[in-house]
Amino acid sequence: MKLLSIAAAVALLATPAMAEKTSLSVLKLASSGPVFLAQDLGHFAAEGLEVELKFFAAAQPVAVAVVSGDAEFGVTGLTAGFYNLAGKGALKIIAGQSREQPGYKLSAYMVSNKAWEAGVRSPADFAGRSFGMTQVGSTFHYMVGLLAEKRGFDVAKMRLVPLQSIPNMVSALQGGQVDTAILPSTVAVPMADRNDAKIVGWAGDETPWQLGALFTSPKMIDTKRATVERFVRAYKKGVAAYDLAFQKKTDQAATDKALDILAKYTEQQKGAIAAGLPYIEPEARFSAKDIAKQVAYWQAQKQADASVDAKEIVVTTFVPSLD
Amino acid sequence: MSEPLRFRGGGFVTRPKPISSCLAGLAVVAIWQAVASAGWVSPVFLPSPAGIARALAEMALSGQLWRHLAASLQRILLGFALGSAAGLAFGLALGLLSHARAAGLPIVSALFPIPKIALLPLFILWFGIGEPSKVATIALGVFFPMAIATYSGVDQVPRTLIRMAQSFDVPTHAVVAKVILPGALPGILSGVRISASIALILVVAAEMIGAEFGVGAFILTAGNLMRTEDLLAGVCLLSILGLAVGFLVSLAERRLLAWR
Amino acid sequence: MRLIVERVSHGYGALEVLDDISLTVEEGEILAIIGPSGCGKSTLLGILGGLLKPSKGRVLTDGSAPEGSLNPITYIFQDFALLPWRSVAGNVAFALEHRRLGAREREARIDEVLAKIGLRDFASALPRQLSGGMRQRVGIARALAVRPAILLLDEPLSALDAQTREILIEEFLALWLAHRTTAVYVTHNLDEALRLADRVCVLSRRPGRIREMVAVDVGRQDRTPARLAPLRERLWRSIQDEARAADREYV
Repeated sequence: MKLLSIAAAVALLATPAMAEKTSLSVLKLASSGPVFLAQDLGHFAAEGLEVELKFFAAAQPVAVAVVSGDAEFGVTGLTAGFYNLAGKGALKIIAGQSREQPGYKLSAYMVSNKAWEAGVRSPADFAGRSFGMTQVGSTFHYMVGLLAEKRGFDVAKMRLVPLQSIPNMVSALQGGQVDTAILPSTVAVPMADRNDAKIVGWAGDETPWQLGALFTSPKMIDTKRATVERFVRAYKKGVAAYDLAFQKKTDQAATDKALDILAKYTEQQKGAIAAGLPYIEPEARFSAKDIAKQVAYWQAQKQADASVDAKEIVVTTFVPSLD
Repeated sequence: MSEPLRFRGGGFVTRPKPISSCLAGLAVVAIWQAVASAGWVSPVFLPSPAGIARALAEMALSGQLWRHLAASLQRILLGFALGSAAGLAFGLALGLLSHARAAGLPIVSALFPIPKIALLPLFILWFGIGEPSKVATIALGVFFPMAIATYSGVDQVPRTLIRMAQSFDVPTHAVVAKVILPGALPGILSGVRISASIALILVVAAEMIGAEFGVGAFILTAGNLMRTEDLLAGVCLLSILGLAVGFLVSLAERRLLAWR
Repeated sequence: MRLIVERVSHGYGALEVLDDISLTVEEGEILAIIGPSGCGKSTLLGILGGLLKPSKGRVLTDGSAPEGSLNPITYIFQDFALLPWRSVAGNVAFALEHRRLGAREREARIDEVLAKIGLRDFASALPRQLSGGMRQRVGIARALAVRPAILLLDEPLSALDAQTREILIEEFLALWLAHRTTAVYVTHNLDEALRLADRVCVLSRRPGRIREMVAVDVGRQDRTPARLAPLRERLWRSIQDEARAADREYV
């Protein structure tokens, strides 16, 4: 009994007396690793922040949660829906998250066995084929657009099939109901191992791009700028820890510990996590130019409103731009 | 000392007041527009009626509206026709045949409350991601309410009418065609009303998977892209479709059930 | 046509409804069956018309049906049993449609009975537009259209008000005098039975047995309340105890 109360008192002393409460909406994915590391290694606490993590199942709700005020910060992949929200002055990008980068096997170009037999054997062969994706305006939708641009075929001549969820994409690809798809490595590699479908390339090698970002609401920047600064500082320490553990890989103990932390937060097998770790720029920088390119692409596809201004969406005062 | 009798009846009867209905509708739209125009609420949260009207007009002018409507109507009509024909036949069997009722009713009762949307992934495995799975989703959703409405409609046909027909030696098939079916028609038509609105609800679910066009696909895409004006424009379309269906069923009821 | 009932018993499971009923309905007579509720009179009528199968015993017919009879044994129902979605003429036609009958012959028959019953002007009316009395007239017209040999009437007037009942009794008598169709008339109304019947069969209840058979020995033109009073008194004494018992029972 006495021991317990002493433990409680110590715990009280350990947290800074004036810890400010804030919240972050996030997905249970390895790409959110820096956030989990910052939380678990005490970087947020060191900045006097008590961060409540709010978990969601898809990128869209993560962004909506920040717009609706359910969370003060969000970190996730960039979609057309995100830009439409941001374009209405509801969201600002303040730091980078994952990037598709050569050598990082994050998103796989997949081909159904049926299509493989029919001769679809490389990303260039995606031209004119059906393509399974989660939703219109999703990151998968953007990546097939990037691929078409790079390989010089017309994405409008493909049949883009929205299937709402990754499990639906898996079964559609398995059943040969779509010829092609882009799937996260955590799903793609086991599928290829079971020979349910073929991997014909990786988006990082083919079309590197700024996949994810940390963002907040303009109101936060206006009214609680200090909080945002502290949050970004802690986030950058999380990114640095991620970089050390998974990209520099100079300290095996740190790598093991980081993997443990990621496994705890994402509730995934360590092996699966290690196989699908995305590249994250070591100083949490992002490419504003890439953001502008994404907005222009969505506008050309009529998926983003013409009024969205890419310059208004990014704030480079917390983290300097890559460009 | 005579005095007039005090009147104490009246009240408790509602009468249709069409002007009040119209005014209430207009007032809601006007207040909504005023709140949106004044900028008190961000358009992200509350698109203005004018914005929704603009979205609808753009759709109509670009021709997208008709493509979406045509795609959805085709699915709804086909799914509804298949599902209600099967439901009618099955409901009739439940109502007329003891064995069919003993075997079928527990099954129908067990399957009816299942949200058909939950079966969508299974339908994709069975029917693929093309039209068949969408039509099947709607057909299955329509089947159960139709079967149950027909069955209870048949149950509500007065037994004395059947006895009467038998007493005149009317053959069984004619009893079904001339007594039971017309007698069950009120039940069947209320089944049509319910299942038609279910078909409208399910078209959104059915078009979640692999649909390029359709009102449901349009609404989902608008949601995915966080285009709330488009989203509500699509919802308006669905609600107009729902009103049209309700109107048609009422028309059918007035014509076919004039005898009531 | 005569109708012969031989030792008919009927029950639903353990419940005995009719016990050993034997009687003969003579050609051209009206036999009234009276009894308190629960005496099985409707069940007996169902058996007479072939709509119910008796547990024991049998029912025979004897003699020939009139020329052109399409349905020798024909019912008239308490609740009229009209198809509400059909017009008056359509309801009469319903009894004829499945018979080998030319369209012209059918129309002629319908027109004939509607004229006879005074329904011609209402031929296209729907049942819901008619009073109870008019609806039962449609039931009667439908029955006459098939030219029955035996009419089975199941409390045909009990859903009607007293004045309408009076009018219909007179009309029915006039019709019957013209055709002299054998008839079984089930009722719980003593006055109806005495006004119409040649004989009155009194059933006891639980199970239904024939308590007595009373001949109405008053000429039909002389059946005033005063002349019928003694018979009425006798019948009432015969059934009143059971009627009281039936009244005090849970339903």
